[in-house]
Amino acid sequence: MSLLVAPLALLWPAAAVAALADGRRRATGWAAVAALAVAVALLAALAVRVAAGGPVELVAGGWPADVGIRLRADALGVVLALVSVAVVLAALVHGVVSGLSSRLFPALMLFLSVGLTGLFLTGDVFSFYVFFELAMISAYALAALGGEGRMVGSALIFAVVNLLGSFLFLIATAALYRATGTLEMLAVADRARGVDPNTALVIAVLYFVAFGVKLGLFPFHFWLPSVYGSAMPAVTAVLAGALANIGAYGLLRFEAGLLPRELALAGGVLVAIGTLSIIYGAVQAIGRRDAREVLAYSAIGHAGYVLVALGVGGRVALAAAALFTVVNALGKTLLFLSVDLRGPLVSAAFAVGAFSVAGVPPFAGFFGKAALFEAGIQAGSDAAVALLFVGGALTFVYLFQIYQHTYWRPGQEHPPAPAGARVVVAVVAVVVLAVGLWPEPLLALSNQAGDALTRMAG
Amino acid sequence: MNLFLALVVAVLFGTGATMLLKPDLFRVVVGLALVANAASLTVIAAALSRGQAPISPLIEGEPVSDPLTQAMTLTALVIGFAVTALLLAMVHRVYVTHRSVDLDDLARSERSAEEELERGVPIEHDVDHDDAEAAR
Repeated sequence: MSLLVAPLALLWPAAAVAALADGRRRATGWAAVAALAVAVALLAALAVRVAAGGPVELVAGGWPADVGIRLRADALGVVLALVSVAVVLAALVHGVVSGLSSRLFPALMLFLSVGLTGLFLTGDVFSFYVFFELAMISAYALAALGGEGRMVGSALIFAVVNLLGSFLFLIATAALYRATGTLEMLAVADRARGVDPNTALVIAVLYFVAFGVKLGLFPFHFWLPSVYGSAMPAVTAVLAGALANIGAYGLLRFEAGLLPRELALAGGVLVAIGTLSIIYGAVQAIGRRDAREVLAYSAIGHAGYVLVALGVGGRVALAAAALFTVVNALGKTLLFLSVDLRGPLVSAAFAVGAFSVAGVPPFAGFFGKAALFEAGIQAGSDAAVALLFVGGALTFVYLFQIYQHTYWRPGQEHPPAPAGARVVVAVVAVVVLAVGLWPEPLLALSNQAGDALTRMAG
Repeated sequence: MNLFLALVVAVLFGTGATMLLKPDLFRVVVGLALVANAASLTVIAAALSRGQAPISPLIEGEPVSDPLTQAMTLTALVIGFAVTALLLAMVHRVYVTHRSVDLDDLARSERSAEEELERGVPIEHDVDHDDAEAAR
C-alpha cells in the first residue's frame, strides 16, 4: 500500500473501533495512542520521502487522473500533517495518563487525526472540505467534553461561528468550481489566471474570511478566548496546536497557491489586518492575569504573523509563514499542556515553551521568527521588521508574567501533577529543543513548500 | 433561472444570518441550518446545466448534466444534517445543565456563579450522572 494512503487507512478503522469501545478504560486509550503513534511514524516516513524526492501523488480508486480524486503530499501538506498529528498524539497521551473522564475522548481524537491527515494530503478542493468538516466536527464535540454548562455554552459558540466559516468556504468552493470548471488544486491554480478578476476577488475574500475564522485572526477572533479558556487542557492544546494549522494552511494553499494575483492585490490589507492582530493579541494578553486567557490572546497575536508574511508575499515570506506555523504549533502545544500542571519538570517545560514562542535561540521558535525577519528584510519593509521586534518583545513580557504568577508566587501549594503528564510535557519540551538544535530538515521542507507555492502560482 | 436561484440563496442566507444573532439558541441552530441549505443550493446552482441524466448508457451527441455538483450537494447535505444534529445535542446539554436555552440567561447564571465563587460559597454543578456512575 502506498505510504500516502497508509495513515488514513490505519486511522479511519481505528477511530471507528474506538468509537464503539469504552474510552474511559485505560486499554482503549492506550490502543488509540498506539494507532496514532504508528500514523505519526508513517507520516514521518512520508515526509522523508517528500523531502528527498518531491511531491507524492496518487489517484484514489485507480481512476484515470482527471476523473478520480487525487491525493497529493507536497512539502507544505506533509509537514503540517506530521506536526498536527504529532500534537494530537501528545495531547492524547496527556489525556490518557491524567485519567480519562469521557467515553468518546480517544475516538474523537482519532477522528480528528483522520480529518487532519486527509485535509493536508488531499489535492482536491471538495475532499478538502469533507476532511475539514470531519476534523472540525470532532473538535466541536471535543470542546464540549466534560459537560459543565459553561463549557458547553462556549463550545456551542465555537461551533456556530466556525460552521458559518465552513459554509462560506463551501459557497466559495461552488463559485470556484463555476469559474474554473475543476476542483483539482493544480488545475485550479492553472485556470485561475483566466478567471474574471472580479469573480476571483470575491472568491479570494470568501476564502480569506473562512480561514480567518479558523485561525482566530483579529476581527474574527471573538469565539477564541472563551473556548480556549474553558475546554480541557488536552483539548485546548489540540485546538491551538493542530486545528489552528488548518487556518494557516488554508490561507497558504488557497490564497497563495490558487489565487496569487488576488493575494498580491490585497497585500497591504493583509499586512494591516495582521498588524492589528499582533498588536491586539499582545496588548490583551498583557492585560490578563489568567494564564489560559493570556495564551488564548497570544494565539490571536501569533496568527497575525502568518498573515503579515502572506501579505509581504514571495518565496521567502511564504516559506517563513510555513515554518512559523509549524514551530508556533509546537510551542503553543507545550504551553497549553503544561499551564495547568504543577511539580518538577513542568516549570522547566513551560519555560522552554515560553522561550520558543518568544523566539529565543536555541529553541524551535527562533527559526520561525528569524525566517520572518529575513522575509521582512528581503521585502525591504522597515515597518514589518519593527513590528516583528515589538511583537516578540511583548510576547516575552506576557509569557514571563504568567510564568512568574504561576510558578514563582509563594503561598500556592498545589499537589504535583501525575508523573505521566509531567513526562509528556517534558518530552514535548525536548522535541521543541531538538527542533531548535537541528532545524535543517524543517528548514529544507519549508523552503520546498515556499518553492512549491510560488511555482503553483506560476 | 440563475437570478431566481441567487435571490433564493440570498434570502435563505440573510434569514439564517439574522437568526444566528438571536440570543435564543434554538433560533441559532435553525439559522445555521438555513445557512447550510443556502450553501447547498449555491453548490447546485454553480453548475446548472440541462441534459440527460448522467447514468450509463448515455445517448451519443446529447449534452449530459454535470453529475459532480449533484454529488457534492449530497455530501454537503449529509454534513449539514450531521452538524445540525450535533448542535441540537449541545443545545440539549445546555438546557439540561441550565434549564434555559437563552444566552442572556446563561450569562446571568454564569455571573451569579462567579459572584458566589468570590464569596467563597462552593457552587453546585449538575454532575453528569452517567459519567459519575461509571466512574464508580
